[in-house]
Amino acid sequence: MPPSPTSSASPAGPVPAGAPSAGAGAPAGGGKPRRRREGLLPYVLLVPAVLVLAAALGYPLVRQAVMSFQEYGLAQQFGQPPQWVGLDNYVELVTDSYLWTVIVRSVVFCLANAAITMVLGVALAVLMTLTGTGPRLTLQIGLLLAWAMPHLASLTVWQWLFEAQYGVINWVLVRAGFEQFAGHSWLIDQLSFFVVATVIVVWMSVPFVAFAVYAGLTQVPGELHEAAAIDGASAWQRFRAITMPLVRPVLLIVGLLQIIWDLKVFTQIFVLQDAGGVTAETNLIGTYIYRLGLGEGEFGMAAAASWFMLLLTVTLSLYYVRVLVREEEL
Amino acid sequence: MSTLTPSTTATGDRPRGPRSAPPRPKLRRSSPRRRRRWFGALAVAIAVVWAFPVYWMLNSSFLPFNRIRSPEPTFFPVGGTVAAYERVFESNFLSALRVSATVTLITVAAALLFAFLAALALSRFRFRGRRSFLLAVLIIQMIPAEGLFISQFKLLEGWQLLNSVVGLSLLYVAAVVPFTIWMLRGFVNGVPRELEEAALVDGCSRVQAFFRITLPLLAPGLVASGVYAFLQAWNEFTLALVVMTRPDNMTLPLWLKTFTEANRASDWAGIMAGSVVIAIPVMIFFLFVQHRMTSGLVSGAVKG
Amino acid sequence: MNRARLLTAGLAAAALALSACGGDGDDSTEPAAGGTPEPADIRLWINGPDTPQSMRDWLVAEFEEQNPGSTLTIEEQQWEGLVDRLTTSLGSESETPDVVEVGNTQAPTFTTVGAFSDITDLLPDLGGDDLLQGFVEAGSADGKTYAVPLYAGSAYVFYRKDLFAASGIEIPTTMQEFVDAAVKLKQDNADVPNFSGFWLPGQDWRDGAAFLWDAGGEFAVEEDGEWVGSLSSPESQAGLELVQRLFAEASGAPKDANEADGHVPFCAGEVGMALRPGWLRGSIEDPAIGCPDMMANVGVFALPGSDGEPAPVLLGGSNIAVSATSQNQELARNLVELMLSDEFQSQYAENGLTPAKTSLAAGLGTDEFAAATVEAVTNAKLTPAAAGWASVEGSRILEDLFVAIANGGDVQQLAEDADAAIADQLG
Repeated sequence: MPPSPTSSASPAGPVPAGAPSAGAGAPAGGGKPRRRREGLLPYVLLVPAVLVLAAALGYPLVRQAVMSFQEYGLAQQFGQPPQWVGLDNYVELVTDSYLWTVIVRSVVFCLANAAITMVLGVALAVLMTLTGTGPRLTLQIGLLLAWAMPHLASLTVWQWLFEAQYGVINWVLVRAGFEQFAGHSWLIDQLSFFVVATVIVVWMSVPFVAFAVYAGLTQVPGELHEAAAIDGASAWQRFRAITMPLVRPVLLIVGLLQIIWDLKVFTQIFVLQDAGGVTAETNLIGTYIYRLGLGEGEFGMAAAASWFMLLLTVTLSLYYVRVLVREEEL
Repeated sequence: MSTLTPSTTATGDRPRGPRSAPPRPKLRRSSPRRRRRWFGALAVAIAVVWAFPVYWMLNSSFLPFNRIRSPEPTFFPVGGTVAAYERVFESNFLSALRVSATVTLITVAAALLFAFLAALALSRFRFRGRRSFLLAVLIIQMIPAEGLFISQFKLLEGWQLLNSVVGLSLLYVAAVVPFTIWMLRGFVNGVPRELEEAALVDGCSRVQAFFRITLPLLAPGLVASGVYAFLQAWNEFTLALVVMTRPDNMTLPLWLKTFTEANRASDWAGIMAGSVVIAIPVMIFFLFVQHRMTSGLVSGAVKG
Repeated sequence: MNRARLLTAGLAAAALALSACGGDGDDSTEPAAGGTPEPADIRLWINGPDTPQSMRDWLVAEFEEQNPGSTLTIEEQQWEGLVDRLTTSLGSESETPDVVEVGNTQAPTFTTVGAFSDITDLLPDLGGDDLLQGFVEAGSADGKTYAVPLYAGSAYVFYRKDLFAASGIEIPTTMQEFVDAAVKLKQDNADVPNFSGFWLPGQDWRDGAAFLWDAGGEFAVEEDGEWVGSLSSPESQAGLELVQRLFAEASGAPKDANEADGHVPFCAGEVGMALRPGWLRGSIEDPAIGCPDMMANVGVFALPGSDGEPAPVLLGGSNIAVSATSQNQELARNLVELMLSDEFQSQYAENGLTPAKTSLAAGLGTDEFAAATVEAVTNAKLTPAAAGWASVEGSRILEDLFVAIANGGDVQQLAEDADAAIADQLG
């Protein structure tokens, strides 16, 4: 999968041939990809993962799908037979004009957050490769601390920092001469609310990206850089020409996940709405579905919303998935 | 991520052989070294900024509540108190720690093992259904989780796995395995098959080749995925809330929540102290595995 | 039959309880043999710290003595996430708790869907008309009762005696005097940053409700069997205008914050008056949390209404119910009876909470806190009894409305929009 630099020696070329063909015993031939039947072995290797996914997600997903066509509320949860309503849940969902406002808002928020997170995450990962052990470990621990902080604590602390009257941020701004920030509410204005949300989401997501990309970077052999450096390539050229292609698979999958996660963002918005701001102006898909479905005990509706959201995510990431598929030559 | 899409015109070639670790040329000494120092300073500065909320948690854990939130912020816990930590350890922290540790260990171990096997299959074999499987795993990531927990509760109820470490771990493994498969697959692909073959030529058995060559090269990926799985299981709240309803089965996030009180004055110092205590095992775990993150090809595990 | 009944009966108001006991003794739900039910372990979910440890100990000891062989396990739950847990656990025979405490505003959500057992027949034994009727209504559906009150508490006004004296203000006895006092306090303390003559954060519609109701307004009313929002009625408008005036001229609280941790601004000396539940006192008195030194200057009174009577404030508290899937219905009912016994309920009064039975309110004591507690409850009101009311709260329509009002929006327009949104949720 590494994004196949054009070289024929590319480690795992676009078409990974069957290397460790355990039972068959025949040593896999050089770099030339070959199609061979591997018998049952690959399936056997997949069995545990498939079993665990089927066990934990199979039934819930099927049930979710069934429920989305039913009038399924709390009463059904406690034993009353549900009623089939066909596509009613979906119709009700998509004919609500507010939903589309929320979707547009969510997509913008998601793309902005994913982009900022990826840029910062990759930058920090590269920085880790450029420093000595001490600073690198300091940075890693700093990031890990942020990542490892229990969400209850981190969300509370961020709320405190941005508080209107007792928040450290306003306190510092006022001391720095910006008197207008005395008692300034960061959440009451829609744009300002999402800036705060972005700060928190990015702060929470960057460590994961930085670690994953850094792990990918350490797989890049140092010789390549040295050889290129001797050939006179600048650091930026080397980064673009050597590093990027080699870590590209990791970047693609992490970037895709970031989009998926940022579209699903829930807790941060939920907590901030509780702290301040105007709910109707700040709902994203996650909080909207929650308030629509679970907040009211309308599980059929929530199930429909979930499937709808899945469809939306797939659609939105279609381009991305296709790039990934092409890279993979799936 | 168009900004990140590089050109496919790679100029570099990837070496077949292992790293020969040449001595650094002397001419590259002075300027890169100074630059390195600057990067080091930058890294430390960013670490400080990133960790500030963490510091604020630590700071708050030593303060009485009337100094945590007040018109004049207290930046250093001078004259602070460890009373919050006493409250933390008086509660049933140890029981929650035991439950969380068990669930997390099962999750990390099972997720890494299952995902690794799947990654091997997906990266080293071509077989019917491979593409569908990869896509399916990708799409599973996109499922909104908020609505699923009720069905998952019913599922575990049917199997009598409610209030059980195994039941909760099952849900967690399923939650992290899709990502781990994709991640590890990228890393398995990144291991030059030629290396394994070279080892075979040298007389290693296939198993030896795997343990001596492939596994060390996968270490960064395993560590990154492992840290991810660890944190997911360690900090998850909603599933634990509905699955582990008995006080004896509380996980750490549930236990932490007992310090909040929606209708009253929450024990914020206790929450912060509890959070500090919860974060410590994560740090230990990381420090324990972090050096594997940088190993890979550099570790010298590969012998010609 | 069993001792529990007799004991409860003996302790309850005699005539009522005895007649009830006589009429109810051989109820069909009791074991026919008249023997005690099969011993079992009963699980009780109690929320938050309102029921102190001493009361729990008493409850366990007493229950286990009255039901030999059975045990009682109390599992404390958090309010946050409670609905998620109840939604899943109550439906599971193997995991359900036998008896659960729910918030009085949460109760209707579960009564109408069959999550709780019908305990209508038990009602006379539990106290009948002596029970807080608003809570019984909240726990009833279609003429059957599924949940009964456990305790109540309503907000009253905490004020600073020293600031009152400095401004020459007496304890207000009407709404008009109260508003004047709030505005004057803010003017007289303008040098204190963020000072509130009356502290009202923007999202706090639950406390703001008192002003709406006092003016004769309602959140929603039932018209021909249909619930509709009525925030744009003239009376409601008057109430909301007053709320806007308080936000602008009396409150210094953030215009979009919630009402959590009210003791913080209070202890920072930024509050002249605040309408808070009784437990604020505990927060102020706690040296680790509040400011015990200030307590000497703290007084309380029930918010006065326009007519001089206590204003209708939002009634808070808990209901208690038996899980429908519990395998130990008889024991669970015994436990509910025990928890509504005078002996147990009196202990709530001693702890400053309004007991479920009006006849026990005297147990609150005679100091000004007790007086304010008792007074505040007398006129307290519940949110509309519409089946879909939980969705109105869930979608945060009222938080948004109050924040917008605090922000200086056009009350008439905002109220009309909110009415439409409420109709949408209730329809």
